[in-house]
Amino acid sequence: MAERYLVEPDVEFINEVTRHGGGDLKKCFQCATCSVACPISPDNRPFPRKEMIAASWGLKNKLLADGDIWLCHNCGDCSTLCPRGAKPGDVLAALRIMAIRAYAKPKILADWVNDKSKLPILLAIPAILFIVIGLITGLLDFTPEGDEIVHAKFFSTWLVDIMMIPTSFFAVGVFAVGLKNFIGDMHAQCLADGRTTKTDVNIKEVAQAFSRVVLTILKHEKFNECSENRDRATAHMMVLFGFIGLFIVTGIFFVVLYVFQIHGPYSQLNPVKWLANIAGVSLVIGSVLMIKQRLNKKDQVSTYSDWFLIGLALMLGVTGLLTEMTRLGGMAGTSYFLYFVHLMFVWALFCYVPFSKLAHLAYRTAALTYTEWSQRK
Amino acid sequence: MDKKYGMYICTGCGIGDALDVEALGAVASEEGFPVQQHPFLCGPEGVALIKKDIAEKGINALVIGACSRRVNFDVFRFDGCIVERANLREQVVWSHPRDKFPKLTEEEIASGDAFDRVQMLAEDYLRMGMARVKKVSLPEPYKLESLSRRILVMGGGMTGMAAALDAAKAGYEVTIVEKTGVLGGHANHWRQQLPNQTPYETLMAPQVAEMIAAVEAEPKITVRLETVVARIAGEPGDFTVTLKKPGEKIEFDVPYPLPPEMRVDEKGNELDVDTLQARYQEYNEGRADILTMDPNGEKFGAVVLAAGWRPWIPEEGQLAHYGFGELPDVVTNAQFEKIAKEGKIKRPSDGQEAKRVVFIQNPGQGDDSDFAYTGAVTSMVALKQAKYVREDYADGKAYIFYQHMRTSGQMEYLYKSLQQDPGVFMTKGEVVQVRQNGNGLVVEADDTLLGEKIAVNADLVVLATGMVPVTVDDPVVNLAYRQGPGFRDNDLFDGYCDSNFICFPYETQRTGIYAAGAIRRAMTVEESIEDAAGAALKAIQCIESVNRGVAVHPRSGDMTFPDFFFQRCTQCKRCTEECPFGALDDDAKGTPKPNPARCRRCGTCMGACPERIIGFADYNIDSIGSQVKAVQVPSEDDYTEPPLRILGLVCENDAYPAIDMAGLKGLSFSADVRLIPVRCLGSVNVIWIKDALSQGMDGVFLLGCKHGDDYQCHFVKGSELASIRMKKIGEALASLALETERVAQFDIAIDEYDKIPQIINDFVESVEALGPNPFKGF
Repeated sequence: MAERYLVEPDVEFINEVTRHGGGDLKKCFQCATCSVACPISPDNRPFPRKEMIAASWGLKNKLLADGDIWLCHNCGDCSTLCPRGAKPGDVLAALRIMAIRAYAKPKILADWVNDKSKLPILLAIPAILFIVIGLITGLLDFTPEGDEIVHAKFFSTWLVDIMMIPTSFFAVGVFAVGLKNFIGDMHAQCLADGRTTKTDVNIKEVAQAFSRVVLTILKHEKFNECSENRDRATAHMMVLFGFIGLFIVTGIFFVVLYVFQIHGPYSQLNPVKWLANIAGVSLVIGSVLMIKQRLNKKDQVSTYSDWFLIGLALMLGVTGLLTEMTRLGGMAGTSYFLYFVHLMFVWALFCYVPFSKLAHLAYRTAALTYTEWSQRK
Repeated sequence: MDKKYGMYICTGCGIGDALDVEALGAVASEEGFPVQQHPFLCGPEGVALIKKDIAEKGINALVIGACSRRVNFDVFRFDGCIVERANLREQVVWSHPRDKFPKLTEEEIASGDAFDRVQMLAEDYLRMGMARVKKVSLPEPYKLESLSRRILVMGGGMTGMAAALDAAKAGYEVTIVEKTGVLGGHANHWRQQLPNQTPYETLMAPQVAEMIAAVEAEPKITVRLETVVARIAGEPGDFTVTLKKPGEKIEFDVPYPLPPEMRVDEKGNELDVDTLQARYQEYNEGRADILTMDPNGEKFGAVVLAAGWRPWIPEEGQLAHYGFGELPDVVTNAQFEKIAKEGKIKRPSDGQEAKRVVFIQNPGQGDDSDFAYTGAVTSMVALKQAKYVREDYADGKAYIFYQHMRTSGQMEYLYKSLQQDPGVFMTKGEVVQVRQNGNGLVVEADDTLLGEKIAVNADLVVLATGMVPVTVDDPVVNLAYRQGPGFRDNDLFDGYCDSNFICFPYETQRTGIYAAGAIRRAMTVEESIEDAAGAALKAIQCIESVNRGVAVHPRSGDMTFPDFFFQRCTQCKRCTEECPFGALDDDAKGTPKPNPARCRRCGTCMGACPERIIGFADYNIDSIGSQVKAVQVPSEDDYTEPPLRILGLVCENDAYPAIDMAGLKGLSFSADVRLIPVRCLGSVNVIWIKDALSQGMDGVFLLGCKHGDDYQCHFVKGSELASIRMKKIGEALASLALETERVAQFDIAIDEYDKIPQIINDFVESVEALGPNPFKGF
């Protein structure tokens, strides 16, 4: 609180918040009903009241580095109770997308991922990459032999992994850079605001904070404190656990393939396969529930970024399950095509995740962990 | 008038159950009043019964023992008859229910030493009613010899023009007197005006041109430019107004009363009448006395005062922390408006475009109030001016630092629309400093909603200074009244020509002069135009009331007026000086000259007069005195332990209805109190108190409105004057060897009926503690 803060409002930032679904932010008259209504806002310096005025004053740097926007779980209680219809929930959602976009590099990819008109290009990239690399390397066989439908014969596992492994490293790299900058900015901001006095980083403390946060996330404890949008917790949990399940399955089969040299397809009796199927179904049902809830929720803005994420999750699940079903049903051509589509979405997930709303899994976890560690004041 | 009396007792509403009606009738018969009783007197049958008596028996002075005078007043109004209402319902049976004030038992009656307090109360009220009708007469209206229906509007700004148009449309001749050479006033200097119609979201072109055209096209309106009022003499309906050019010195410039320091000699003693008169003439050398009417003066019936305001300019060094006076780019909102009117907003210092403008709403330095004389207007003006910045520059930024954002009425929509503008930034906060930084300014603010000490860069800083009513500088109305040319006690209202008449807007302390617009309080054009309509209607009401010889306000329709028995006047001038409305002038000797059309009929003069020569047809020293004397005061000759008798003189505007309401709500208070409504505590003459005490009553209290700075008195000064008189009465009591505590005054507001029992009972208890009045029984 020491320094006098020179305010330089960024009008373009305000317009951008508006474009990201926070168009009502200027209606705020700072009554702080939102901060009172919020079930998870802390007692000290509660959000979203202060974020609302900072946004309407265009204080870009402050907001992008504001860990508090990530503490919000977008339950919508604040928006419902706002006497002016300023929709603080939507404003924070917009700010989060903008933070992701600001920290994810390269910027052009972030712009494309959040731009509806660029969707065909984004989907065409993996398709073309696959075909081109497949043709060059000869790892793509358009006429796979044998009665049994084995996807690896169509798409060589090598081809898949040549694509997927570097892409996932790319994603990890983007996240690493983004998170480093984000955490650095957040920490500087918190020190400047007096929100924390911690300067020494103790790994053990961070690890402890992280483990507490992860447990909270898995249990969806924060979600369940919401009253307005509580039913969203179930859908979110299904999608989250769907992803986690599939991640585990992928990891196991990766090991099985490369360490034990056992190729798929694997028996439906295999417990790992059970997990895969359950996770896939969970992902699909969870995404459908999310879509349904968003469509029913007339008072909450759903932006392209929201639909991009849900659509991706749904398509991943649907194409994955359909590929499996058509394989079991013996529809070779269809199954191969679906597998191709499925792989495109998997790649898209890997490649675009740091730029999309799904990046919240990293930023929110980081912000929650930071908040837990820094003993936010 | 030859009076023929009649007493009518209603036995409905519980009166008949609680009281011995036959005994009540006997009380009336004793006084020679024929009695009728009816179970439902206010019903058609009951009223028919009374009307039949009036028609057939010629009854014309009636006492109706029924409900309060504040209800059914239309039912019990009989033209040509004196009607007195004895309040048996609210103030006897409802406030003294039989479960708390039981009837006498057979044994008690047999003992002969017991009494029924409630029955006694009712009987006294009938006696008091009868005493009054014997003493009062029917009023006859006061008619002016000549009546002018013309309305004088002072001020040719938006308010004045609106008032003139409204009055003209209602058929009245109007003259607008405008000091400057053009109509329109401040509105001529505005770029845009706050919206006056739905959706209230955008600014509008100023209405002033349209309004001037309408005024010029209206044949009933005469416009006198470069003209001011030298004096207004006379009374409503017959004002003689002298007009002159601004700055001119003429014979009919209004004379001023001597300031207090000139009224005394070196030792501080009041000078004698002749010396005072000489000094007064010297002080007002070359000016005709107030009683001299200008033979060339114009006649007007009423005045609308719309003289408006001037922008407040900080004194040198007053706003040094904002750099006002030092930094050329720190301006007031009025100065900014002129800049904006001239074209794109530029900095006064170097003529560069001012794209970053900060609006500061209050003087800061720990004080969170807005600048003086702002009301809600400057909040809205800041919004308007912020909009100019955004209109002029697409990349313009307007900042508003406020402690209060006041957007009254529909203007909330303007605030909302400004909020939506991404280039407008508002926060509550205290601006602590404005300083030069390079060729720009830096505005520093603390405690903002942004949660910290902040600073913003600015090209121009605008201070939301207020609108000073012109009555701060000058009496403006220049009334040729003995009490002085202006309004008294204006400092209670920060110089605004306003009053504490919460329910009576436009009303000033001078009858016939109605204030409208920013002279009354800071207001927007929209509010001023509405205000103008109100003041114009009041002016018309005044003229028409005067024409019928009745009071305008607040005793609207009252036909009585104070009557002076001059032969006994000692020229003490108390009436002239104490009249809250300056209704009385006096001549060189000090003999009062009543101006009945200026009078509001409060009776303060009657209360003030030591000679008791002032009275009204239906309300005078004798009528109330006789009511006091009509109360029976039992002594030890009558009962072993006689009850107390306490007189309450209660203001009929607030206190009396509060007591009625207490009764209506079933609240009880002592039955030993006798209440008499008075027009205002100011009309209470101490002789009534002396009468009461000398006939053995044990105590007297006055119950009226709050006085002081936040007075609630309908007649401004009445309760305050009463309190001064009550302090002085102490000496008189001491000379009678009576305790001063036997007389008291209490405040009450109309909605405080719940406090009535405690006020009355506490006083009764304190009198009881003093013991009975030693004069009892003499």
